Formats: sequence, C-alpha cells, structure tokens
Amino acid sequence: MIELRGVDVAIAGRTLLESLDARFAPGELVAILGRNGVGKTTLLRAIAGLHAPAGGSIHVDGADVTRLAVMQRALRVAFVTSDDVLLDALRVRDVVAIGRFPHHRWWQWHEQAADDTAIDRALDAVGIAAFAQRLFSTLSSGERQRVWIALGLAQATPVLLLDEPTSHLDLRVAHEILGLLRTLASEGKSVVCVLHDLNDAAAYADRIVLLGEGRLLCADAPDAVLASDLPERAYGVAMERVRLHDARLRVFGTTSGSKRLNAGGGGGRYPEPSRADRGEAPQ
Amino acid sequence: MTWRFAGLIVIVVAAAGASLLVGGTSLSLRDVTGALAHPHFGGAVNAIVWQLRLPRICIAATVGASLALCGALLQGMLRNPLVDPYLTGVSAGSAAAIAIAVLAGVAAPFTPGIGFVAGLGAALLVAALARRGSGIDANRLILAGVSLSTLFAAVVTLAIVRAQSNDYASAIVAWLAGSMAGRGWHDLATAAPYVAAGAVLSVWAVSPLNALRVGDVRARTVGVDVDRAQWIILASSSLLAASSVVLAGMVGFIGLIVPHIARRLVGSDARVLLPACAFIGAALCMIADAVCRWVVAPAELPIGVLLAFIGVPAFLYLYLHGERAR
Repeated sequence: MIELRGVDVAIAGRTLLESLDARFAPGELVAILGRNGVGKTTLLRAIAGLHAPAGGSIHVDGADVTRLAVMQRALRVAFVTSDDVLLDALRVRDVVAIGRFPHHRWWQWHEQAADDTAIDRALDAVGIAAFAQRLFSTLSSGERQRVWIALGLAQATPVLLLDEPTSHLDLRVAHEILGLLRTLASEGKSVVCVLHDLNDAAAYADRIVLLGEGRLLCADAPDAVLASDLPERAYGVAMERVRLHDARLRVFGTTSGSKRLNAGGGGGRYPEPSRADRGEAPQ
Repeated sequence: MTWRFAGLIVIVVAAAGASLLVGGTSLSLRDVTGALAHPHFGGAVNAIVWQLRLPRICIAATVGASLALCGALLQGMLRNPLVDPYLTGVSAGSAAAIAIAVLAGVAAPFTPGIGFVAGLGAALLVAALARRGSGIDANRLILAGVSLSTLFAAVVTLAIVRAQSNDYASAIVAWLAGSMAGRGWHDLATAAPYVAAGAVLSVWAVSPLNALRVGDVRARTVGVDVDRAQWIILASSSLLAASSVVLAGMVGFIGLIVPHIARRLVGSDARVLLPACAFIGAALCMIADAVCRWVVAPAELPIGVLLAFIGVPAFLYLYLHGERAR
C-alpha cells in the first residue's frame, strides 16, 4: 500500500505539485499522466525515496519512505527507469542479478538458491529467459526495457514503480510491456507507472492519476477520467472522444481547436466508432 | 574462470621467480633456491636474495597490485575507463611535498612519510572540492583532481628549476620517474598497514561496485548507499595510491591499463575483476622492475619510463587487435 499524505513536490526550489493525497492498493495498476514538466517523474522518484518531498509524507506499507534505511527501502520499492547507461560487456542475467542486492549482506558475494530462483522467475516473467546469456549491448530497446523490468522484479518488492516504461517502444512491444504490468498487478503487486498515452493508460490501468495545474486533478477509473473535462485541463488541448464497440472510451487530441470538444460524462453523447475503427470490413 | 585465475597465479609466481634471478649480480637457480631454503646462512648470495631482491620483489608486487586495484576501483566508481589512480591528486600532492622537502633539505628518511601525508591531504582536498550534498560528484572529482594535479605539477617544476644543486634536482626527478631502488623490508613494513587498510576497504566495495555498473540511480534503488560507497572507494584508492607513491614514486601505466586488460580477461564483475587486477598488476610490476635492473646493469632504468615505453604500445596493439577481432 502506497499512501501520499499532503505531499508537495518541488525541484530546485520550484514547487511542481502541492498537497497530493492518494492511496494505491496492492493488486492495482495505476498510471500517472500529465503534461511534460508537471512533476510525474519527480513524484515517482519521491515515492521511490530518491527525492525528498518538499512537504507531507509518503508511506509504503505504513513506513515513511524518507525515514527508511536505503536497504529497507529497496526491499519494499523497486524503481524501473529506462535511462540507458553504458554497460561494459554485461550479460542479461548479470544485469538482472543486480536486483538481488538488497537480499544480501555486504560479505555475501555469491548468489544463493533463492537468488537463482528469483532471477529465473524475473527473466521468465518478462519473456527474456532465452537470451539470459546475451550481452546487454546487443539488445533492442524493447528487450532492454524488459531487462530493466526484470531487474525490478528480481528485487522481489511489493511495490513496482516504472518511469515511462513504453517510451521509444513500438506499438506491439509497448502493449506487451503494459500487458505484463497488468499481469504483475493482478498477481498482487502495487504497480505505479508514468505513461504519456491516455488511451494506453485507459486500456490497462485500474486507475488514472492525472496531474495538472500544480496538483492532483483526479485519481479515478479510466472511463470516469476520460469522460470528464480533466484531460483537456491537464493537457490544455481540445479532445475528441470515441466510444468503442465494447463501450469503453478513448480520447484524441484535436488540432482544430476546441470546436468539437465533448466534455462531461454519459456514454450516449459520444460518436459510435465506424466499422473501420472496429476493424471490420466495409460492406 | 578457475583456470584463468590459476594461470594468473602461475604468472605471478613465475614473475617473482624470474625477478629473483635477475639483477646486477648474476645468480643461478641453485644459488637462489639454496638461499631461500636456508635464510639464516650468511654469505653474499643470501644477502642479495634476502636483503635486496626479495624485499624489492615484494614491494614491486605490492605497488603493482595496489595501483591496479586502485585504478579498477576508481574506474568502476566513476564508470569512466580513462580514470587512473592519480586522478585523486595523491601522486601530484606527494610529489610537490617531496620536492619542497628536498629543497628544504629534509633528511631523506623523512621524505616518504611527508609524501604519504601530503598525498592523502591532496586526496582529501580533491574530495572536499568534489563534494555535493552527502556524496561525491563524479565530474567535479575529475575536474578537481586534474586541476589540483596540474597545480602541484607546477610546484614540482618550480622546485626543479629553483634547485640550487643538481643533486636536489636529480632526487626530485628520480622520484617522479618511479623506482624501487634502495627500498627494503623497512619501507614495506611501514607501508603495509595502509595497503592492508586500502585492500580491506576495497573488499567492502565489491558488491556496491557491481551494482554501480547499472548507474547511480539504479544502484540507489537496489539498496546501495551510493554516497557511502563513494567515500569508502575514495578512501581505499587514496590509501593504496599514497602507499604506492611512497614505495616507488610515480609509476604510471599500471593503474590505467591493467583494469582494461583484466576486464578483457575476466569481465567486469568486481568479485573477479579486483583480484585479477591485483594479480596482473603485481606480475607486471615485478617483471618491469626486473627488466629495469637487468637491461642496463649495474645501472637501473626508472620503472615508470620502461612501463611507458613498452607497456603502452603493447597495450595499444592488444586493444586494437581485440577490437578488430570482435
């Protein structure tokens, strides 16, 4: 369980977000969205204990993350970032094995049976067991992203935080990654990720946390968020809404101003998708 | 991997054995084994083996292992393959202090101690300048190390220029060129506690170094206290570098190049990289010192000069050959 209690997020003395209150439960996949620079990644780093909140407190399973020892924190929260670093001739398995660091004392240099099991399970979960012995530098962006997620999984924490796990990935790999996060959440983890695509978030997340105007605009179920005018307020662009054949909503930013803006809830007010939208052949 | 380490141990032992045979006075294998088997017998051969060559071999091994270990620690911490042990300002600080001490007429037995203290002082100054929050900023460390080293080098140059006699200037230059001539058991015993302290700290750094391979942020999220790891690695490398400078003056090449060779041989896992560096550094330094004693006997070449002339082209060949073979 992650709890934000009146959290203020600031960077270099500039307040980005104020008075955030939210709870993210185990088994829940939460997507954080908002404009660039709104403070999404900084908030995620604050939850991970990498950035001290300017005010309020963040609790993970009842413990204030800023007061936890670094090792204790690493046993509760895994943070997956896609920033690439130069890895000198490291094999995939070696990278994932680094996730076992908090499970060792400083003199325990060698992996135990439990480590091997956790590493194998993490590699399996993200579908990269087949190239465990490949050099990291030979992997594609999508494969590398899976390796970073596997590293987070090997850490075996109840909370998994991911910063833009689908950035730079093609459509197929992005959906595979999001599907994986969905599965991890359904297995009981608290999964919180920063995403940029509202529709991806709506398709996979249990809740969408929308940040804008220096605060938390909402933390609600995807359809409720998309049906409201909050996406327009968060992004400052007009949106068109389309209801899919399964009754779920999708939103699209428009380039023609706000003339066709459809704010507010209610399923009947949105245009039905065309046959082509539904992937059906025209008759 | 076991075979590779067995091979490295064989090379270290062979280098030590060859070093015992080589020098100004020609000794046979029988002479040397006899002297080793009967350490309490008198005679010139025993004196050469036990009082001249053996301490010198041990010092060469210590210096080589320390510098290589130090290079691997700093390169790993800063994730920069161009970093060498003297980045922290240890050698330049030592050299400047020793140059001033020589000019001031301080007695020779006191100069190593002065160099050691000044080297650690310079490292502390560099660390203080590189400090950001509770940790160390890698870029600041490199900038501060390079800047202060340049300043100290200028002090040394000034000291040489201002030296009133050629003897003073020669003493300073000999220190800069690196040499183990005239060193004995006493010098080794004096440096040993600091080398041991540096080595013990490096053992603590093994796990953090491995985690740091995936970057500072990821290392922090898996539980590495990065700030503490940086200070410990810096303390370890400063002790090792300062001890080496005291024992042999400025010996370049080893701390920069040996970690590269070791990484090619055993990979970047600190659990095997650090011991591999120590073995290769020790063997290389012993062999280089033996060649220095033998090639222009009874005179000696400075080891730093020899390592630069032979080691650097050899390394470049190996490195470029390896790149093409990839």
